[in-house]
Order: sequence, then C-alpha cells, then structure tokens
Amino acid sequence: MPTSPKTRSRKRVTAKKHVTPPISTESLAQNFLRADIVFDGLDHSGASFEARIFINNPDADATTELTAQNRYAGRFHVFGHGGCFGDVGHCEVRGTPRPYDPRPAHPLTPMRKVVIATDALRKELKRSNKPLTLTIVPVVRSGTDRCDYENVLKFDGVSVVTYA
Amino acid sequence: MANGNGLTLRKSVESLELSASGLNALRDAYGKMQALSADDNRGWMYMAGVHGFPQFQCWHGGRVGLSQGALAYDLFLPWHRAYLLNFEHAAKDQNATVSLPWWDWTSAGSQRIGVPVSFSTRKLGKNPNPLASGPVPEVRSGRVPGLPASPQRRTTRSPGDPSELPTADQVNTVLALTDFVDFSQQLQDIHDQVHGWTGGRTGDMGTIVFAGFDPIFWAHHCMIDRLWYLWQLRHGVQNVPPDYMAKPLAPFALTVADVLDIHRLGYEYAQASSSH
Repeated sequence: MPTSPKTRSRKRVTAKKHVTPPISTESLAQNFLRADIVFDGLDHSGASFEARIFINNPDADATTELTAQNRYAGRFHVFGHGGCFGDVGHCEVRGTPRPYDPRPAHPLTPMRKVVIATDALRKELKRSNKPLTLTIVPVVRSGTDRCDYENVLKFDGVSVVTYA
Repeated sequence: MANGNGLTLRKSVESLELSASGLNALRDAYGKMQALSADDNRGWMYMAGVHGFPQFQCWHGGRVGLSQGALAYDLFLPWHRAYLLNFEHAAKDQNATVSLPWWDWTSAGSQRIGVPVSFSTRKLGKNPNPLASGPVPEVRSGRVPGLPASPQRRTTRSPGDPSELPTADQVNTVLALTDFVDFSQQLQDIHDQVHGWTGGRTGDMGTIVFAGFDPIFWAHHCMIDRLWYLWQLRHGVQNVPPDYMAKPLAPFALTVADVLDIHRLGYEYAQASSSH
C-alpha cells in the first residue's frame, strides 16, 4: 500500500477575515457574571480552522499576538468536513424537513459556536459603552484539496450575550 | 483488559506504554483490523468509514430534528460514546484483552512531545506501526468536475507545536460548567482544536472525512469520553436535556439514555491520571 500523502502540494492562501458592523451594547446587562460571543449559521463544510476574535481592533490579522493589549477576546475552532467527497449535490444541505421525515438534519447544517469572553468584554465595556466591532481572523489548521481556504470563514450572524 | 467486576478498564496511553502486554494487545488488535478489506464490516476501514468517508454518520454540532421548527440538539458526546463502544468490541473480536486507551493531551508528557511515542513511531521492525497510521480506502473522483481521486493509502499527520495543545486549566474550566449543552459545546471546541493540531496542514486527523482512519483518533475520543465521564461524576450521570433521552444514535442500536452510564456499557476509566 503506498504511503503517499492524499493531497497534492498547495500554495498557502491567506483566509479572509471578517470585521463586523458596530454591535450595540445598550441592551447588555450591567455587572454581568458571564459574557459570550455567539456565532450562528457557521459553515463547517470545508477546512478546519481556528478563528481569533479581537474587539475594536479592525487591523488585527493572523500575525497579531493574542494579548489583552491587542484586545484579543478569545477563539473558537472548527473541525471541518474537508470538502465534498460525493457526487454533485452530496453536500448541499437539505431544506426544512418534510413532514414524517424521521432523519436528523443534514450533517452540514450550519452550526453555532459560543466563545466565553467574560473578562475581555468586561474590560472593553469599562473603557466605553460605545458599540463594539469584532474582527474575526481565521487561521486554517487542516484541509484537503477539496477546500476553499480563502473563504473558510462563513457565518450568518454574531451577537454578544451577557448573563447577570 | 478487565477489572475484577468484569468491566473493561480503559487506561491512559502513558500508562499503557509502561505495560508491554497492554500495548502489544492494542497493536495486535489494530493490526488485524487494518489487514481486513474496506468491505469487511469487522475491519478498520469500514469502522472509520462510519464516521467519515463514505458513510458520514458522525455527529458534530447542533442540528434540528424531526418536524418543522423543532429545537436544535447536539448528540456529539453520546454519539461518539456509542461509536467508541462498538469500535472497542470490534477490536476485542481480534484480541479479547484489548481496551481503548485515552490520550491525555494536557499531560506534561504531551505538552512536551505532542503525540505519544507509541503512536508516532512509524515502524515496528519492517512493518508499519498500526498505532502510527491506518489504511484509507480508495477515493474515486466522483462526478464532480475537477475533483482529484486517490488510491488506497495510509494516513499521515503533521502535528503542531506541543505547547499549543489544550491545557489542564482549559479543561478544568470546561469541567466546571454546569449545563450539559454548554459543557458539550465547549468540550467540542477543545476536541476541534486537537483534531486540527494533530492533522496539521495536510494530515488526516484534521478533517471529518478522514480522521477516523488515523489510530490516534480513537485515543483522542477516548479522552473526550473520559472527560464527559468526569463531568458526569461531578454534575450527574443523567444530566442531559430530557428531550435527548430517546434520541437514537444511528447506526448503533442505542439511544442517548442507553449510553449515559458507562458501567452499564461494560467499561470504566482507570483512576490514576497525570492531570485530573
């Protein structure tokens, strides 16, 4: 059995980061016990990656140190599917289940990630109660030839949630 | 390996490395499973293919269930417990004394060297070490234009710097969470981190499609299952949302309720540990 790697050599591609529009802090609890940054509708069909989150630091990138000085808030990790290994349509997520369909939703149904960022958000809100912008910097960890490395970070929405 | 109660006793990789008989049993069982063809449902490729290519039955992240508007639920922990149990029995069919070891990536040894020596030594004599790599079936290109094919091969890894592995402090923070869904989400994130770390840029552990073919996958998931067990000891064995209980863990003939108590499943984890 050959021991050759499964992938051909690849050029390193920088994954695109995302900077959110300003997120209002008016509705957040004062003196919260816990604060989360919640990502909904996160795509996990492609490469595996780490997503680093910075608050009010739109210039952050993959080389930015993960320090409080750089307003680093936390990170999440995605264990990616690795691209599509079926025929055409294999990885298209089915829509709303039809009545009497007992199957669970499609395995590539976009997921939720919760980053507990209590200390970072507390510090940031002490500085100012102005709206926050979040910079999410993806760093690809692993993948196959069937992955789009540049556009690995895809999600529907992000919110800040506090618990009093 | 069984204790006095007849339960299978799962030990850490580090403690297994101190016992020639335990390590030899694991090598023997994995080697025999790996020698079977991809079509043989007792074999390595078939079992790994339940998780990834070609069956993709694994569970990661929350999904919506039956009927429109149903709440999302996440069977990550119970599904993988059922999967490990079935895999362990398939391994016992090859060597009755085997038990799955856990890879404690928070231990001082792992933080220094990363993947344990018993799983990273490429060859045993002239043969591939069955703990260092596993066979992957042929992948045909399919009908999607431009997608590459690959012949049957063995898994590879390109792990990261050991200092980037999750720490005992990270794990203890997660173990302190009291809500199952919260705990499961945060533990899954640590799990995701280790998959990416172990696979590296092109290694198989890094993606769902091929991870199960790498022998370290089973030791990694044994660690995850053990952490759930430790959480259950602290926060309650039956501590899952009530609507989870009857959920089936396909393709295994088990529900969530069936897998909550590991002693009812016939195994337990050794008490000794380097970090917990």
